[in-house]
Formats: sequence, structure tokens, C-alpha cells
Amino acid sequence: MSERDRGTEPAEEGEEGRLSRPAAERPPYVESTIIMTTVRVIAPFVLTLGAFVMLHGASSAGGGFQGGVIAATTVVMLGFAFGIEPIAAHLRNEHLALLVLAGLGTFLSIGLGGYLVGENFLQVSEYETLLHHGSKYSIELVEVGIGLVVSGVITGLFFLLGTGLDTARDATEPGTEEDR
Amino acid sequence: MSSSLLVAAVLLFMLGSALAAAVLRDVVGSIVAFAGYSFGVAVLWAFLRAPDVALTEAAVGAGITTVLFLLTIARTTVSRSERFEGISLRSALAVVAIVVTVGATVPALPPVGAAGTPVLDGEVSQYYLDNAYDQTGVTNVVTAVLVGYRGFDTLGEAAVVFAAGVAMLLVLRREEFL
Repeated sequence: MSERDRGTEPAEEGEEGRLSRPAAERPPYVESTIIMTTVRVIAPFVLTLGAFVMLHGASSAGGGFQGGVIAATTVVMLGFAFGIEPIAAHLRNEHLALLVLAGLGTFLSIGLGGYLVGENFLQVSEYETLLHHGSKYSIELVEVGIGLVVSGVITGLFFLLGTGLDTARDATEPGTEEDR
Repeated sequence: MSSSLLVAAVLLFMLGSALAAAVLRDVVGSIVAFAGYSFGVAVLWAFLRAPDVALTEAAVGAGITTVLFLLTIARTTVSRSERFEGISLRSALAVVAIVVTVGATVPALPPVGAAGTPVLDGEVSQYYLDNAYDQTGVTNVVTAVLVGYRGFDTLGEAAVVFAAGVAMLLVLRREEFL
């Protein structure tokens, strides 16, 4: 992209040759009443839909991956409406890492619990001996765990890309960044 | 008949948005066209009665991927000089090669919904359809296969997502404790 830009517009070479715009040149966050109001109304419903898709994956189309992505969309919408930095300040990376770890832990403990109730790793049908519909409930728990992992990772990716690297260091051209 | 007309319309829409995504010079327009393409794929999955895949495609392909692309593009310089991308001879040749390869391969596949395909008369899928509810207590066979029968694969997928998250925290250098 930038290669060809330079070829066709030699006048703007300094502008086009840069990898990243400094924060000052980027379009600033603009408050919009319409977007803020809409997001405020829609966000709870989207979060509910995400939870529904996550929990109802055992009985209809859906599951942890889809539900987790939809739940993460709530945070993405809030970020677009109210600015990414203030939202990211509320949900710190530590919290997201805890969320992701809790999700993976749920999955693993269901899997390891298979040794307790039966003989095999992840043998969900053995949970039937513990309680009625135990197999279904354990599958749903696994889906919730997947949903936590996916939503945490996507929210983290959104924050990392949105709040930017230049708080840590300015993006430089490849090859010129200092060694770390 | 009417459904095949609808599928044809969706395919046409996908073709148009794919072309727009490739040819548009404005990167933001290209991303929006790409999101439209993903949406078309999602609708196509729904027509082909794969709602689970359609949901994933709509949420990930049309939703989150677009947002991440837009966030990335917001940090780079955007060219607004010409409307369409110039197409070089080399990329045109690559496109022709890919189209010829795919065009030669796809007719070898059985048509959608044809009798005698492994999906329809294979032992494995019939076994899942017959026994999924009794063995896992789950009415959605897709979920039964994903977690009940192939739970280890799904655990691997979750581990991949987890590893991606950790890697991105490390690479983007925002966490000192990781």
C-alpha cells in the first residue's frame, strides 16, 4: 500500500512513508449524543443476547465462541460511544486476564472432574451419575468457560489496539526502533 | 426455486463486495466492503442450514474483525487520492491463477445436498445424529460434538485463544507482570 502511494505521489513522500500517525494528528474522539443514547439503550440487550447464545448453545444454534464474541461487542460499542480510554481505565488488563484464566480454568476443571466421577478426561456423560442432566450442565459450563476466554481476549485486543502503543513508546519505522 | 434465487442474489452481493474490497482505493471503504462480504457469507451459511457457522461468521467476520481493522487503520495514514486501486500485471496473473485453480477444483466436489455424500450417508454423522441426545443430553448436535465427543479438540481451541491473548499482551508490551 504505502509502496505504491510513494510511487504515485512523490510530493507526499514524508507523509506516506510513515508507519503510524502520531496521536496529535489522529481524528479526536467526538461525543455524539445519538450514538451515546443508542448504545446506552442497546448495550444491555446485546449483553443479554450474548449470554443467551452462550448458555443456550446446548439447545439451539450458538455456543461459547459466538456468545463470547457478542458479549465482547458490548464493550466495543461502549468504547466507540464513550471513548476507548475511559472504558479501558475501568476494565484493566489484569481483570481481563483473570476473566480469561477463569474461563480456561472452568473448562479444565470440568475436564479433570471427569477423573473424579469416571475414568476419562472430559468424559461429560459421567456427570450423569452425580445429578440428573449433569452431562448437559457440564457441557453448558464448558461453553460458558469458552465464552469467558473469547470475550476476555477480544476485549483485550480491542483495548490494546484502541488505546495504542504510543503511551508506552512512539511507533517508529521498522529497523529504527531501539533494542529492548 | 425462490430460495435458489435468493442464494444467487447473495452470491452476487458477495462477488460485488469482494471486488469492491479488492479494488477500492479508500482503505476504510475497502474494510466496509469486506464486512459486507462477511455478512454475505453469514447469510449464505444460514441459507445452507448451518446457523452455528452463520452466527460465528456474522459475529467474528462481519463484526469484530471489521472493528479491529478500523482501529488499525485509524493509526495509519489513509490515502484519499484516487478512487480505485491500480491493478498490476503480476497481481492480475495471480488472481487468474487462483481463479483457474479453484474453478478446476470446485466442480469435483459433490453438489450441495447431493445424496451419497459422506455427510449424508456416512456412519459417523448418522451415529452422532442417533445417539447425541441419549449420550450427552444436548439437543444441538453441533454442541454435542464440539464439547461431548470432541471436547479435547475444543479444549485445544480454547488454549489457542488463550495463548493468542497472552501473546498479544506480551508483544504489545502493556503488562509487566506477564
